[in-house]
Order: sequence, then C-alpha cells, then structure tokens
Amino acid sequence: MIIAEQKPLAEVKALVADAQKVLVVGCGTCVTVCFAGGAREAAIMAASLRMATQLDGNGKEVAEVVVQRQCEWEYLDEIAQQVGEVDVVLSLGCGIGVQAMVEHFSNAWVVPGLNTSFLGLPTEQGVWAERCAACGDCILGLTGGICPIARCSKSLLNGPCGGSENGHCEINAEVPCAWQLIYDRLSSLGKLDRLLEIQPPKNWRTARDGGPRKIVRPDLRLPAEEE
Amino acid sequence: MNDNEFEPNIIAFCCHYCAYAAADLAGSLRLEYPTAVKVVELPCTGKLDVLYVLRAFENGADGVLVAG
Repeated sequence: MIIAEQKPLAEVKALVADAQKVLVVGCGTCVTVCFAGGAREAAIMAASLRMATQLDGNGKEVAEVVVQRQCEWEYLDEIAQQVGEVDVVLSLGCGIGVQAMVEHFSNAWVVPGLNTSFLGLPTEQGVWAERCAACGDCILGLTGGICPIARCSKSLLNGPCGGSENGHCEINAEVPCAWQLIYDRLSSLGKLDRLLEIQPPKNWRTARDGGPRKIVRPDLRLPAEEE
Repeated sequence: MNDNEFEPNIIAFCCHYCAYAAADLAGSLRLEYPTAVKVVELPCTGKLDVLYVLRAFENGADGVLVAG
C-alpha cells in the first residue's frame, strides 16, 4: 500500500492561511490503514486547525469528510457540493488523491496535508517499511521475492556491495542488507544457483527515468473511448 | 467563592470499572466536588481517543481529566 505521513501542523496552517473555509478530505484506503489520513486523522486535523487558528485570532471554519478512495473520480462526486462551498480543500490523501481532486474539481484549490512516502507494508505495530519502488519491470522472481531495487540502498542487481556488514547496510546499521536477505532466503530454499546468472544493467525506461508512465488496456476500454 | 476567581471547566473521562465507580461512591457518601467538573463515563479509559480530548477543549473545557 501507499505509505504517507502527515505534514507538520505549522506547514498545514501555512498552506490554508489565505482561506476562511477549509474542507479536510480524508481517504478510506491506504492512508487509513497507515493512520495518516483516514476518518480519525481527518477529524483530528480539522479540530486541530479550528483550535490553532482560533488561538491565532483568525478562527477558520473547518469541516471534514472522508471518501472511500480519493484516487478515483467516481468517489469524488459525492463531495462535489462540499468542495464547491470552501476556499481550500486540504487533502489527507496521497499525492494521487490530491491530483485526482485537482483534475476532477477544476475550480477548487487543493493542497496536500500529507507527505506521500513510499510503497510498503507494516512490519510491526507502528512501523512501516518500503518494499516496492514501482520500477515497472519486476525481478522478484530472480531474487527469491526480496526486492533489491527497493531494499538495497544502491539498487544493485548482482549481489551486495562492500558496504554490507554483518547482514546490514553501511548507510544505517538498522537497515538489513537486501542482498544478505536474498542470499539467506535462496540458501534456505536450496536455490542459490538462481544467483549464478549475471543480470545485465537494468532497463530503467519502465521506471520513472522513462518519464511519466501510463498503461492503456484496449480490452478494458469502452468503444466510444477508443481512438 | 470570589466572583473574580477563575473556576476551570474540567471534563473528567472516567473508567466504568474504577474511577466512575469511585465517583458513584462519592455521591453515595454525599461527598461534594465542584460542579465545574463534568464526569463522562467510558467503558474503559482505553476507549479514550485523542478526538474526545480535542472535542472537549473545542467545546470550552479548560482541562481534561482522564481517570482509570
């Protein structure tokens, strides 16, 4: 899922400083389960903004609403009226949610309340870790299901660098060396021979390096939309 | 009490099993506490959410007491 963190309240206050009416829009999907922008966080953000701006002597009207998925226009229709009644929309969705609203509500001023961090998973209560870099050309099948693109600091393809020490990365002793994890896993599964094949330089054109990405599925398009 | 003296409004979130029972007992014993203390019963203080505290302050509480 997409992992995000709330921006500091001071930064959020600055983003909505010019507005009198604010609508905080939470999202019921990824940022709900990483406790950054769900119903509860939206309510806390709205209450915090109301109180903080009141203490500053310029109390704002702050309402909150949550949509099931901010990243799909269909779910945004239900808040169209509320969006039209405010000066600024504070999105507690990921960066996709913010842009979905911008594209759907052409007259709305939408600002982000979160920093979208990475694609990852909760590894223990209150801890999230990156697992996927969305490189567009998955090699997990070669590496025992452990991603060296997302989890090796250098995204190496053919084993660890010299900075791998006792199973940890030189950038931080708390970061496991992805290649150590890969080696250990393949070793325990008796599949170390998988590592004998040398991987050529990765084609990064499928990643961000190839510019903004887009997928078109002709089989799913409606006849009227086909070019 | 002096009219000029500030009497804070306190919302007391009390656990059903201990602090709320104690408040009940205080009532049975005819013990008095200031009327500015408003007791809100929770099934457990583990039910307390930061939102409850924020809403209490937003609605004019000067202080919040959590007892459990």
